[in-house]
Amino acid sequence: MATGDFAVLNLSGCSGCEVGLLNAEAWIDTHRLAYMPLVLSSEDLPQVRQLVVSGAVYTDEDLYRLRRAATRAEQVIAVGTCAISGGVANLGYRDEVRERFFQESDRRHLPRMLPRLLPVDAVVPVDLYLPGCPPMPWLFTAALFQPTEYQTAKTVCLDCGRVKTRQRPTRLSGFQPGDTDPQMCLINQGYLCIGSSTRGGCRAPCTRAGNPCVGCRGPSDGFIARSAEEWFEAMARVFARMTDIPGDEIDEVLRSPQLSLFVFQFADYGDRPDPVAPRDVKKVL
Amino acid sequence: MPTLTVPLSRIEGHARTSIEFRGTQILAARFEATEKRGFELFCQGAPAEQMPVIVPRICGVCSTAHHIAAVKALEAAFGVEPPPKAITIRGLMMLGQLIQNQATSLFLFTMPDFPGREGLPSLFHFDMQDAGLAARALEIRRLGTDLITLAGGQFIHPVKAAVGGVTSGIGRQEADELRRRFQEHLPLAEELFSRYRELLMGLRERIGTLGDDTPTHYIGAVEPRHTYYGSTIRIMAPDGTEAEAFEPCDYARYLTEVPLESSYSNGTLYGEQILNCNSLARANMLSVMGTPRADAYLERFHREWGHPAHAILLFDLARGIELIYGIERAIEILEEDLDGSSGAEGDLRVGYTPRDGEGCGLVEAPRGPLIHHYNISDGVIRRAKFIIPTQHNILAIERALRVAAERYITEQGISLELERAMGRVVRAFDPCIACATH
Repeated sequence: MATGDFAVLNLSGCSGCEVGLLNAEAWIDTHRLAYMPLVLSSEDLPQVRQLVVSGAVYTDEDLYRLRRAATRAEQVIAVGTCAISGGVANLGYRDEVRERFFQESDRRHLPRMLPRLLPVDAVVPVDLYLPGCPPMPWLFTAALFQPTEYQTAKTVCLDCGRVKTRQRPTRLSGFQPGDTDPQMCLINQGYLCIGSSTRGGCRAPCTRAGNPCVGCRGPSDGFIARSAEEWFEAMARVFARMTDIPGDEIDEVLRSPQLSLFVFQFADYGDRPDPVAPRDVKKVL
Repeated sequence: MPTLTVPLSRIEGHARTSIEFRGTQILAARFEATEKRGFELFCQGAPAEQMPVIVPRICGVCSTAHHIAAVKALEAAFGVEPPPKAITIRGLMMLGQLIQNQATSLFLFTMPDFPGREGLPSLFHFDMQDAGLAARALEIRRLGTDLITLAGGQFIHPVKAAVGGVTSGIGRQEADELRRRFQEHLPLAEELFSRYRELLMGLRERIGTLGDDTPTHYIGAVEPRHTYYGSTIRIMAPDGTEAEAFEPCDYARYLTEVPLESSYSNGTLYGEQILNCNSLARANMLSVMGTPRADAYLERFHREWGHPAHAILLFDLARGIELIYGIERAIEILEEDLDGSSGAEGDLRVGYTPRDGEGCGLVEAPRGPLIHHYNISDGVIRRAKFIIPTQHNILAIERALRVAAERYITEQGISLELERAMGRVVRAFDPCIACATH
C-alpha cells in the first residue's frame, strides 16, 4: 500500500535532475513527496507509487539503494542521461582512465566503485524513461503526472525553428559557436549539431541561443531500437546531404568520446559486455 | 571507542558525519563525502573548446559557475579578452545562480531546522503560521533560475557563455519583463528573509549558541558591486586584515590540498591554517555590498555580530543579505543595453584562434572562489584541475562538528540535540559534494 505519491532517489550524479524537478513545482499542492534527501529529511524510503531515479549506478552503495528502493515502488521512472546511459561519467570508460581512477578511489569506510558504471535498467526494470541532461521542468510534470497524454516534438529540429538553407559549408566550425546567423540552421553554418536525430521536447534552448545540439535527450523514436552505429550513419548522412564537409572529418568528431557521452544514450554504451535490450519506444518520454 | 554516524540530508550530494569518542573525549569529528565521479581524469583528452559543455555536469546546482570558469580558463589560455557586454551578461548568469543558490540554501535546506524543538523535515512541512511559505520561497528561487535561463539559455547546465563572449544577447522586452518581476518580488524576498532571521534567532535563544566561533582565515574573490565574476583572490586574517592577494593560477603557492582518509573530498589548508569561504567570508571581506537594501542589512550584520564575525550559523544570515543584493543588482543591470543585435560588431563576442598553453579561470561561486586550471596541447585538454570552494571549508566543517560534539556529549550522555546540531553545522557551510569530489 503506497504511503506517498512519489520518491526521488539520487544515485551518482550532479543533482541537476532534482534541481529541475524543483522548478516543476506545481506538484507541491497536489502530490505528496515522500522521499528526496536533497530537500527532505526522512529516515527511510517508504512505499510509494512512483520512484524517480536520477544518477548512475556507480558504487556498491548505489546498487544496494536502488535494489532496495525499487521493491517499494509501483513504478520506476529513470530520469536524466546518467540514469539512462551513465551520462558524463561514461567518458571515464577508457582503460587508462579507469585504472588510475580505481587506484585513487579506494578509501576507508567509503562506498566502493563498481568495476563499471551501470544504467538503472541494468539493475531493475524501468517503467518510464525521461531522458535529458537535465530534463526540462515541463517534462518532469508530464512524466510524473500526465505521461499518457503528453506528446513531445519528434526531434530537436522541430523545436528549433531555425531555417535550413542551400548554404553548403565546406569545413566544420567545431563544437563551439562563432558569430552565428540567428535564423539559419546551424548545420548550414558548419556546426556539429545533431538536433535532427535527437529527441525533441526540450524546446531547443541550446540551438535557439546559437549552440549546436549535443544530443542530451538521446535518439528520436526512430533510432531508439537501433544500434549506435546506425544512428551515427544517419547523422553522417545529414551532413552529407546538407554540407560539403569531408565525411571522414564528420565521422571522427561524431565518434569522439566527448560527444559520445550523450549520443550513446539508449545505444549499447560503447563496449558494454552485456548490452541491454533496446528500450521500448512507448516507455520513453 | 564508539562511533556515532549521522547521514545527512538537505545538502547537495551524498555525505555523512561521524564522531568518534571515548567517554566525553572527542577523538575525531569527520565529514565524509561518499561519492566520486572522476572529472579530472576523464576530462583528459577532451577537446578544449568542449569543456564549457562538459564541466557544468560536475554539478547541477553550481553548473553556471563551472560553465563560466571553464570559458574564462580557455580565454586565459588562448589570450582572448571578451567584450564588456559579454562580461555583463555572464555576470547576470552568476547573479542568477547566486539568487537560486541562496534561496535554496536558506529556504529548502536550512529554514526547516529552526522551528520548535525538533525542527521540520522540509520546507513543505511548515504550519499555518507560515502558510504559503513553500510556494513563496520557490517563487523567489525561480527569480534566480529564470535569470540564468534568460542570460544563459537554460538554468541547469547553461550554454550561452562561449570563448570570446556570449552566443546571444538579451532582448529589451525580455529584460524589462524580468526586471519588473524582480522589482515586484524584492519586498517578498525581504519579508521571507526577515521571517528566516526571526526563526534563526529563536533557535539561538533555545540552544544558546551560533556554533563554532573560532577566529578564522577567510578566502574569497569579491569587491563591492561585483557580480561574482571573480578577479583577484584574497585571504583575510582572523583580525580582518588582508593576508594575501593572488591571481587564480598562483593558487598552489597559497593553498595546500589535504587528502582525507575517509572522504572522497580533499580539504584545504592555508599554511597550517583552516580557511572559511562562502557567504560569511564575503560578508567579512566586504564593508559595503553596493546596493541600498543589501547595504543596510550588511551594516546591521556588522554592528550586531562584529566585523569580521566568526560564528558559523552567521553563514546563513549572510546568505540572506546576498539574496537581497543579487535581486537589487540584477534590477540595475537588466536596465542596461544587453541586446546584441543593435550593437556594434564584436559587441557580444570577439574572434579568437585556439592555441596551446595553460589557463586558469576564476569565479566567485555561491560557495566561494572556484578555479578551473587547464593545460592544453593540440586543442586537447592534457590536464584539468578543479579548485573547489567546498574543499576549502571541509576542515572548518570538521572543526565545527567537533565543537558541537564537545557541547552535546557530556557526563549525562549524548544529547539528542547532537544529531540536529550536526545537520545544522554542515548546512551552515552549504557544502556541495558533487563539486567537492568531482
